[in-house]
Amino acid sequence: MAKRTFALNVNGGDYEVFVEPNSCLHDTIRDQLGFTGTKEGCGTGDCGACTVWLDGAPVTSCLMIVGEAEGTAVTTIEGLATDGVLSPLQRAFVEHHGMQCGYCIPGMLMSSAALLRDNPHPSEDEIRHAIAGNLCRCTGYTKIVEAIQSAAKA
Amino acid sequence: MTTVARPNYRFVNKNQPRLEGVAKVTGRTQYTADIKLPRLAVMKLLLAPHAHAIIKKLDISKAQAYPGVAGVFTADDIPAVHAKDGAARLTTPFASREVVFYGQPVAGVVAEDPSIAEEALDLIEVEYEPLPAVINILDALKMDAPKVRGSLAGSDNSELAAHSTVAAAAEEEHDDKTPPNVTHRLVWARGDVEAGFKEADYIIEKKFFASWVHQGYIETMTATVDCDLDNNYHVWISTQGSFTSRENLAKFLGVPESKIVVEFLEMGGGFGGKIQPYAATYPAMAARALKRPVRLQLTRSQDIRAGNPAPQGYFEIKLGAKKDMTITALQAKAVYDSGAFPGSPLMAGGNLLGSYYQTANQEIEGIEVITNRVNQGALRAPGTPQATFAIESAVDMMCEEAGFDRWDFRTKNAVVEGSPMANGRNYPKIGLKEVLAKFKETNFWKNREAKPNLPGKKIGVGWAIGGWLGGGAPSSAAVVLNPDGTLNLEVGANDISGVHTSFAQIVAEVFNTPMDRISMKVSNTAASPYAGMSAGSKTLRTVGLSVHAAAMDARNQMFKIVAEKLECSPDDLESVDGAIRVKGTPDKSMTFATLGTMSTGYGSPTPVIYGRGALASPPMAPGFALQAVKVAVDDLTGLVEILEACCVQDVGFAINPLAVESQIQGGMVQSLALGYSEEIVWDEAGILRNPSFLDYRLPTALDIPDIEVALVEVPVEGAGPFGAKGMGEPPIAPGAAAFVNAVFNATGARVDTIPATAERIMKALGKL
Repeated sequence: MAKRTFALNVNGGDYEVFVEPNSCLHDTIRDQLGFTGTKEGCGTGDCGACTVWLDGAPVTSCLMIVGEAEGTAVTTIEGLATDGVLSPLQRAFVEHHGMQCGYCIPGMLMSSAALLRDNPHPSEDEIRHAIAGNLCRCTGYTKIVEAIQSAAKA
Repeated sequence: MTTVARPNYRFVNKNQPRLEGVAKVTGRTQYTADIKLPRLAVMKLLLAPHAHAIIKKLDISKAQAYPGVAGVFTADDIPAVHAKDGAARLTTPFASREVVFYGQPVAGVVAEDPSIAEEALDLIEVEYEPLPAVINILDALKMDAPKVRGSLAGSDNSELAAHSTVAAAAEEEHDDKTPPNVTHRLVWARGDVEAGFKEADYIIEKKFFASWVHQGYIETMTATVDCDLDNNYHVWISTQGSFTSRENLAKFLGVPESKIVVEFLEMGGGFGGKIQPYAATYPAMAARALKRPVRLQLTRSQDIRAGNPAPQGYFEIKLGAKKDMTITALQAKAVYDSGAFPGSPLMAGGNLLGSYYQTANQEIEGIEVITNRVNQGALRAPGTPQATFAIESAVDMMCEEAGFDRWDFRTKNAVVEGSPMANGRNYPKIGLKEVLAKFKETNFWKNREAKPNLPGKKIGVGWAIGGWLGGGAPSSAAVVLNPDGTLNLEVGANDISGVHTSFAQIVAEVFNTPMDRISMKVSNTAASPYAGMSAGSKTLRTVGLSVHAAAMDARNQMFKIVAEKLECSPDDLESVDGAIRVKGTPDKSMTFATLGTMSTGYGSPTPVIYGRGALASPPMAPGFALQAVKVAVDDLTGLVEILEACCVQDVGFAINPLAVESQIQGGMVQSLALGYSEEIVWDEAGILRNPSFLDYRLPTALDIPDIEVALVEVPVEGAGPFGAKGMGEPPIAPGAAAFVNAVFNATGARVDTIPATAERIMKALGKL
């Protein structure tokens, strides 16, 4: 498939990438732009590790082709800390051991950060629904839910 | 429950955030696929579409000629030292003439980018002649079953040996009376089981099946291998054992270990499935030929079809007890399906099956069969959740049949220090009875009778015990004083779930100095001190002891220098917050920074402070857990909701309680999932039918409630730092049994197969 140029806005920066039109957003932001914080766990939208925001909405970037992201603001895990300072949610994940291997965490954070932005004081049930599309194999979710609850209280 | 008087620890037994936490929450942590290298090529694999077949023709010429393809690799590229179509997966990355499982790799394409590689895969021409396949574990036990594979040469039991502390049992030679697909058989017996059953007032007999399951790590198997013109290999791999990978790649490639460097990277989950460097064997073949770095990242579908999932178990249990609750006899058969390559966890699982309860009369027969399914691999306490499901279901049935209190029966018969295991060895100090006692202090226990009013649902409570003996291995570590007074801790153990943080806590405690003075370093197998794989619940226990020894060695070297300078005895000194001072005279002191400058300065007569810890395998320290759930079972559908969950576990000593709790919670969820949802499904022809996370269902945050954790600490002297035991494995042992027992308690349905899906529950109830 012939390559062409796409204009992307990722974490506030404007970029041009020259890729095949059927390239997925996940591969493009990782391989072309070096935002390797976004992870692939399945490539079929089942695990949520590749979750990024498109205009603030969580999406599984492995299921999006690059052209769908043109004209939107893409935010990845690298865009969550501002001016070199962790967000309260990121800090809570560190302090509460809301992680073990960490591979699911970029996606988990993008889903839960969107939740807290839209619903600053969610119930446990709302938290669990918000991260239901993000599989974590290590923690059993308890510490992740506690971290999100703690950030919500802060 | 603390069983020892506890000094006032400052850094161990304290909750400590992960050292690499900030990197992980900002996306800076590098996993294997995040490493970019100059001239990196990618590899894609072609998997066989048959469970058992002869490869009549394999033509790669069109793929080789495809623009952008750097090379196509097949069994012809396997190093010549290995027999083709051998019985070890490590040395049989590609099928040569005979395909022995659905999804077995037959060829790999290396190209400049992934889409070219995938297009070229379609150009590979393969003709297969299908052969009869053996898929069912019961069929595999038959004398007249077709043979699963032509050759059993070169089979590999190293992983079992590495993972297990049980002694080798008497194995019988293969003979004409042995079915063709039985690859191991052993018997552990003591006493007289027939006499034992004659004494019994109650006898339970039941057959159980535990399904194949995948480890479910979120990062699929991934490896990048480079090879230079001097045939030096450089490896980046998602692995639980960098040194283990080096060793096994050296064996595979037929090169000295000194020619291979494996980097330490964060790993996106392993759970036993990333011990063997299977993923690296493919790019290693390619890099050897192409002299450039090659990366292979399995797709999720490929990882389920051609990784190394955990095997099926089939169990026949006969259990006898007297009215006074004494177990009079246990007779059991434990059969493990090893897939197409021998090497199942028969010894570990079979031993634990007969090692939870005391009985004078016992006979455990263990059998390993091979089938035309993917090679099995380790999964957290290999073989144990399957066997625990069987024995703990039978114990629950016994209590139901005889009207015994489930806690009283288990507590009366539970093994204690000195009790014999199935294999004849005796237990060292263990905490199973303490775990049982602690259960009665939990909120779960206190609330166990409460039944929420959920219309159309039946509520039940179930629980089970389980354990793991704990692996062992020699290990080493170094603690080095830097010129500015900070300390570097160097280890060669891969972090699984926070163990690097725990190592640093140990050093902080020895030096009585805050964590920010200590820097935990892993680099690669050329520079880091040797440690075995991070597996078998042994990492903190074994490497942690070497870390402690290295810290003590460095501290003693520092004390010696300070004692000479201050003209006192080293015994008069103490280390406090970055300085070494005379006890009771804080102004007579020397800072770590002064010592660091002295021991590194140009022309200085003071030696470098280099603390060394290098130890043999410590004594065994088995750990036990009890898990309990309250469930609600839907009358119409059989769907189960887990309402409450609790795990009580003896961890010896919790260096970092927050990390310990998290690992226990994750382990329990994995164990519950074995009980209720996870199962790899093959059809009768041996085609794997659910190779995705959509159809192979891991628990989500909605499937699992908060898990109450109660820690018990029964330390074993010398078995781990500060008495810490291995604790990663016990949490996967009892959960599936607890779930099934809870379903029984709720509905009266005794499900004999895990996962106990809604369908199986409705069948057990006679409603399907």
